[in-house]
Amino acid sequence: MSARDFLEERLGLASAWRGFVDRPWPGGPALRHAVFAALVYLFVQQALLGIALTTYYSPSASDAWASTAYLNDQVGMGWLVRGMHDHGASVFVVVATLHVVALAVSRAYVRPRELMWFAALAILGLALALGLTGNPLPWDEKGYWAIQVELGIAEQTPGGSIIRRLVQGGSAAGNLTLLRLFALHAFVLPMVVAALLVFVARQRRRHGPAPAGAARAGSYGDGQLLLDAIAMTVTAAVVLGLTVHDHGSELFAPADPTSGFQARPEWYFLFLYKLRHYFEGPLEPIATMVIPGAAVTFLLAAPVLEKLAGKLGRIAVLGGLAIMLAGSLALTAMAMADDRKDESYQKSLVEANKLAERARALAKTGVHPQGGGAVYWNDPEYKVKQLYIEHCRNCHALEGFGGGEAPELTDYSSRAWLSALIRNPNDERFFGKTKHDTMEPYGSDKLSDEQLAATVEYVVSLMEPEQTLDAALVAKGAALWKDELDCNTCHEIDPGKDNEGPNLAGHGTLAWVERVIRDSSKADLFGSKAQMPKFQGKLSDEEIAALSAFVVARRSPPAE
Amino acid sequence: MTIPRDDDPDGKTAAPPTTRRGLLTATAGVLGIGVAATVLGPVAVMLGQPLRHDATEGEGDFIPAGPRSLFAGDKPVKVDLYADRVDAWNRVVQVKVGSAWVLAQGGTLVALSTVCPHLGCGIDYVPEESKFYCACHKSYFAIDGAVETGPSPRGMDALELQDDGQLVSIRYRRFKIGKKTQEPA
Ligand code: FES
Repeated sequence: MSARDFLEERLGLASAWRGFVDRPWPGGPALRHAVFAALVYLFVQQALLGIALTTYYSPSASDAWASTAYLNDQVGMGWLVRGMHDHGASVFVVVATLHVVALAVSRAYVRPRELMWFAALAILGLALALGLTGNPLPWDEKGYWAIQVELGIAEQTPGGSIIRRLVQGGSAAGNLTLLRLFALHAFVLPMVVAALLVFVARQRRRHGPAPAGAARAGSYGDGQLLLDAIAMTVTAAVVLGLTVHDHGSELFAPADPTSGFQARPEWYFLFLYKLRHYFEGPLEPIATMVIPGAAVTFLLAAPVLEKLAGKLGRIAVLGGLAIMLAGSLALTAMAMADDRKDESYQKSLVEANKLAERARALAKTGVHPQGGGAVYWNDPEYKVKQLYIEHCRNCHALEGFGGGEAPELTDYSSRAWLSALIRNPNDERFFGKTKHDTMEPYGSDKLSDEQLAATVEYVVSLMEPEQTLDAALVAKGAALWKDELDCNTCHEIDPGKDNEGPNLAGHGTLAWVERVIRDSSKADLFGSKAQMPKFQGKLSDEEIAALSAFVVARRSPPAE
Repeated sequence: MTIPRDDDPDGKTAAPPTTRRGLLTATAGVLGIGVAATVLGPVAVMLGQPLRHDATEGEGDFIPAGPRSLFAGDKPVKVDLYADRVDAWNRVVQVKVGSAWVLAQGGTLVALSTVCPHLGCGIDYVPEESKFYCACHKSYFAIDGAVETGPSPRGMDALELQDDGQLVSIRYRRFKIGKKTQEPA
């Protein structure tokens, strides 16, 4: 007995294949019968890609984003696998819709194929549910906000708060939410879809794919087999083409419950999103429940409609389906057009993309286990900002936060900052709350705007000689400094000398700020009246250097 | 491509049924293989990533093990080594990456990995016998790390050690288990 016979005797694959290919195909090959093949193909493709993704993806609130960013940006071809899975989901929705349409057109919803029709509708519903449960999994801004909105809608249905608690795994989104969505998306829903696909396949075998007009001889292998293969190939090509065209699939910044991300649902939910716009306030359930519910009921009633009303019923079914499709398409197009015109949305999208790019670049060195948002800790500026918040901001305000005790450091030592300081050093923004109260304010009665500009230019020249300066102004300022204003009675300008006020040689530079942070009570700095803590020894040299650089960098470059 | 036409439902005039059927099936098969490749190819590359890149980093640098004074005694001292580590998408600060036995041999300090070369269990020290012992399958090692009895194929793995008189640092590494000679894992 050959190996072939040995296997055949046990498995019967060859005869099963023959039975599959030789089964009668009454209506002859038709493209509309091939939609089911595309649907089966997509399911298998999604399952394989999905399994591959689970070898990298981790469904926990702290790991989901980082693991998705890792598999998308660092794993070879990860972007392609994830992109094909994501685009495959879109195509699955389209093909599941086409499948319903194909059955309607073939009149495959009347006796004895009612159950096949119901199964097709269920598959379409499950395709949407798979999108609903799959899109939040990366736990990026888009996914996080989408599920928030969707759960919000679900909550408005009768008993909705229970659904929300069950899906969310509690009162707030977190680890349990992701695990529940993942379990639904990866196990429960696919199993149901698989069962339904098997069911439809068996129904097709039992009853034929559709009522055949004049019955024709011929079997599946005579043409439908190839048509099916072509349908599968085209489907695969579309998925691959879309993925390559879009360079994979988008991944926004990690979920941030405090951000104002402008959430939009996935494109195949846009029609519902738009529909909701027409029913504000208490009418909202009309868009979220009544209309979709009526549409589903209508489709489920198709077999009955035709039984009751005959030809009229058929016209109603096809017409109703056409209206639904046209309406959904129109609403989708309108929602997209709205967003294109919506400047605030477009702007927020640009911002969101920028943030996403930054977060994903930072993720390449590994994300702290704290969670997706911790990716920003990798930003060197983040660390120094934390240092500033911890050690400086209580006294020195920055960009509208903290402060009130010591000079504000927003735009520190810029021309504007120096001008304001000279005009009123005792303002709370500067030394008002400190013990440094001996410098008199120079209001416009004492110092004209031009004189002020000249003085500031001179003071700036003390900072860094290589700055672009207005030489004439500097000269004018120097004269004012010495003669008219007598600044030099308190402020030295030769390095090392001390006097009542701080020596201004090289003030505002990195080195100067570093010395102030180390010990501002040095005689040539702020002297014995200084209240600022000495950070020498408290912070490391690197930390002090980083903080100085941070403070100096707050100074905006001079206006052109 | 030959698909039966309405006027020729059985395709009899196009070609003899068996050849025609074979051709159709073969074409469908080729398409199927092409489609499968577009999915399985990327999936295979993705799953094979660990063959091309290591997902964890963090071994290989000298890690401070403790002050020199800690190892002044004549008994081996077990030290846990902490380092920053990248584990796939995570970067974890100061996690335990491994441990080592540190002891003086002829006046200089040496470090021996606690990972048993047999199957990777943790090696303990038995002070009463002045021997190292792996309880998993009963391997005994002499105080210098050489195998005495038991299934371990080689002696305990020595780790590079730096001793500047004040601070002792160890370069932690893992080696392949079950081999006669030391090979990096
Ligand atoms: S692992 Fe140590 S003896 Fe087997």
